[in-house]
Amino acid sequence: MTASSYPEISFERRMSTVEFRVDSDRAHITVDDTVCRDCTTRGCITACPANLFVPTAAGGILFNYEQCFECGTCYLVCNEEGAITWTYPEGGHGVVFHRS
Amino acid sequence: MLIAACVKLVEIRPLVDPLTGSVDPGREVGCSAADRAAVEVVRRLAESWSARTLLISVGPPRAEPLLVELAAVGIDAAVRIDAPRGVDSSTVGRLLAATLADVGADVVVCGDYSSDRGSGSVPAFIAHHLGAAQALGLVEVHTEGPGSLRVVRRLDGGRREVAVVDAPAVMSVEGSVAELRRAPLRSVLADAVPVEVVATDVPLSVRTLPTRAFSPPTRVASAPTGTPLDRVVELTGALVERTPPRTVALDPPEAAGMILEQLRSWGYLDEPDPA
Amino acid sequence: MSGTDFDVVVVGAGPAGSAAAIEVARAGRSVCLLERGPSPGSKNMYGGVVYGRILDTLVPAWWEQAPVERWVTRRSTMLISGDQALTVDFRNPGWGEAPHNGATAYRPEFDSWLAGVAVDAGAELVCSTTATGLIREAGQVVGVRTDRPNGDLRASVVVACDGVNSFLAKEAGMYPHDDPSNFTVGVKETIALPRHVIDERFAVRGDEGVDIEILGCTGDVPGGGFVYTNRSTVAVGLVLSLPALAAGGTRPEEILRLLKAHPAIAPLIEGGEVVEYSAHVIPEAGYDMMPELVGDGILVAGDAAAMCLAAGIWLEGVNFAIGSGALAGRTAALAARRGDASAAGLAGYRSSLESSFVLSDHRRLRDAPHLVMSDLAQRVLPAVACGVVEDVFTVTNPTPKPGMRRIVRQRLRRHGVRLRDLFREGLRALRTFG
Ligand SMILES: Cc1cc2nc3c(=O)[nH]c(=O)nc-3n(C[C@H](O)[C@H](O)[C@H](O)COP(=O)(O)OP(=O)(O)OC[C@H]3O[C@@H](n4cnc5c(N)ncnc54)[C@H](O)[C@@H]3O)c2cc1C
Ligand code: SF4
Ligand code: SF4
Repeated sequence: MTASSYPEISFERRMSTVEFRVDSDRAHITVDDTVCRDCTTRGCITACPANLFVPTAAGGILFNYEQCFECGTCYLVCNEEGAITWTYPEGGHGVVFHRS
Repeated sequence: MLIAACVKLVEIRPLVDPLTGSVDPGREVGCSAADRAAVEVVRRLAESWSARTLLISVGPPRAEPLLVELAAVGIDAAVRIDAPRGVDSSTVGRLLAATLADVGADVVVCGDYSSDRGSGSVPAFIAHHLGAAQALGLVEVHTEGPGSLRVVRRLDGGRREVAVVDAPAVMSVEGSVAELRRAPLRSVLADAVPVEVVATDVPLSVRTLPTRAFSPPTRVASAPTGTPLDRVVELTGALVERTPPRTVALDPPEAAGMILEQLRSWGYLDEPDPA
Repeated sequence: MSGTDFDVVVVGAGPAGSAAAIEVARAGRSVCLLERGPSPGSKNMYGGVVYGRILDTLVPAWWEQAPVERWVTRRSTMLISGDQALTVDFRNPGWGEAPHNGATAYRPEFDSWLAGVAVDAGAELVCSTTATGLIREAGQVVGVRTDRPNGDLRASVVVACDGVNSFLAKEAGMYPHDDPSNFTVGVKETIALPRHVIDERFAVRGDEGVDIEILGCTGDVPGGGFVYTNRSTVAVGLVLSLPALAAGGTRPEEILRLLKAHPAIAPLIEGGEVVEYSAHVIPEAGYDMMPELVGDGILVAGDAAAMCLAAGIWLEGVNFAIGSGALAGRTAALAARRGDASAAGLAGYRSSLESSFVLSDHRRLRDAPHLVMSDLAQRVLPAVACGVVEDVFTVTNPTPKPGMRRIVRQRLRRHGVRLRDLFREGLRALRTFG
């Protein structure tokens, strides 16, 4: 395919267009990465649209909840029981869409 | 005792056009984090002093839903002083002080700046008109018993100032001082705290005019002279004398030492710390 | 009723929840509409088109008040293969006139508007409040817990309109499994362009808008793409199968980059600025994944009940959410009046869904998702179709033109498809869509 004459925006720039009212007191999603060490599929890494699952050199997963769309993809694709604890953030916090 | 929080309705998501600098205020309104912190401080002080609380704002009728929402955290009364947006700070200070004096507020807490290019001067004006003590730009507020406060203020260079303030006092707080608690479901559902409206004589015609983006005046630059080669030499600085770059290969600790030494020789760092 | 705060609590102020609250309030019962976002719609994204017919009875002359961006008067389906594209383009200026057909709209605006209709009808809207669980007594749902202090809310009936992840339906035991193959994830960029540029590039005027669905643009991940026009933004997005994405497929933003760079799409959005990126999961499997719809004291509607009609890329969710939500609201109000909120007392919901478009369409189109996600539709169809058209339109003289039948046979062979398979799939499609 031919490339567009416009450069693609970086992932950071892409995410900076989204408003997140981060709840600094509580992570609404937590990942127990001791479970991830036994995971063979690691679907979360490619599937999370916000790219929040980062594999570590030690074979675990580094997860950051702050820029999350609250979409549910990660817990749906995760096949290791107990790896992801998924809840919605406290009311009024988290992602806020304006033009979607 | 009566403790009052002053809040201001602002657009919370203004869009600035990067090319023209024009600002679209956007539709979403609310108040700054500092104002929310002020409401929380009032709530906490009222709890420990068993004081009554008041929420007050100068603004148009559009500000009332904000007052109702904030008051649901357990504020006893709300007042809106009717005035259009864009009234200058000294007038806002005068209007607030007049009503605060009427109701007999002992301690007044404001946010340090409103987020729409506020200058942080309203609390100072209030203190002036009330003849009250003022402590502005606070990062910590502690109570020392009813009507008495120990506060911490941010100074330049990372220093802090601790002061003891007694009522009557006006304070302004930074947003980080406290996070506004969530309103209990019952108070959100209950009939809202009624907002009392105070009429004013501020003419409704006060409006700020849009300003145009800054564009520097044109300057006339003379055409370059000399041969193209001269120009290239001049632009690249090729023949100018300079210290040639040095390449060294060192272990990290020694490299760090050398960087420090070099920075010192250029005057970026003070002399080595004797400790 | 004693011991309750409201006759009905509706969780989620999406289209399903607001429709439910409107019906309950209009039936004269008290209703609380809970929303976890700071305002209705702030958590919601979709492709971009609301099909409004279902609103006709709920909000007469809705088109005069709803926050519509553009009226869709042009619907295209595009098949992409390599850098080729074949588009079927249908224009109907009639859709630009009331009562209209589809409208593009931003969900934060649309959902806030519909929730406003519910509030005007008498519903109590409470935002910034997440329902965290159900309150149950002797198996009967009697309310919800929320994350506010003193946050329990008791009601005769709870209507769960809490969207695709519906934790309430799961907690009530109505949603047995989370099979990822039942879901797709949608990602989209909202790209700002001046209004007149959009008018020119998409060849529309005034309030007219365009909707393009695209097959064959998602590489190694089954799915589809879409392009929708708003007044001064263009939405470009993808719907992607979860299992394939998780199996190490290309990341969503990379597939989106390739779509945006495609010669058929790039000129439409060139020079635009991305003003929002968003993502949301879609219950793709429709009828075959629907949970129990009725429990003791609880009804489930909208995406929470997998009511989104998703034939791959042709998504109709908002209208099905409104349709099912309204029926749930009516049933809940009736049950509250009669004082019987048991599953038996609420059973009318299921039967009213059966006799409405909601379940009849779903049942009829239950195979559609599989068809659109099949390898044939994803890869073979776009490639063969583009190839055939290329051969037909490429002028080869002085060599004589090959016959149409030969072109088709050659192209099919090149992609390893037997006519018999094609015929079988075609029949299946005819049975589904016919
Ligand atoms: C990429 C994509 C493209 C789409 N394109 C289209 C399209 O073009 N046309 C179309 O008609 N449909 C489309 N859909 C489908 C459509 O968006 C959904 O079917 C529709 O939004 C469902 O409405 P709902 O009210 O059931 O759920 P939602 O719209 O998801 O609303 C659920 C609401 O509940 C709230 N909520 C959730 N949990 C809680 C809780 N615990 N407490 C309080 N509140 C809660 C949420 O914040 C949300 O507001 C698309 C979907 C996607 C993802
Ligand atoms: S899929 Fe689940 S278990 Fe595997 S790495 Fe991701 S979070 Fe961990
Ligand atoms: S909910 Fe969605 S955005 Fe958030 S971490 Fe999971 S996959 Fe990523």
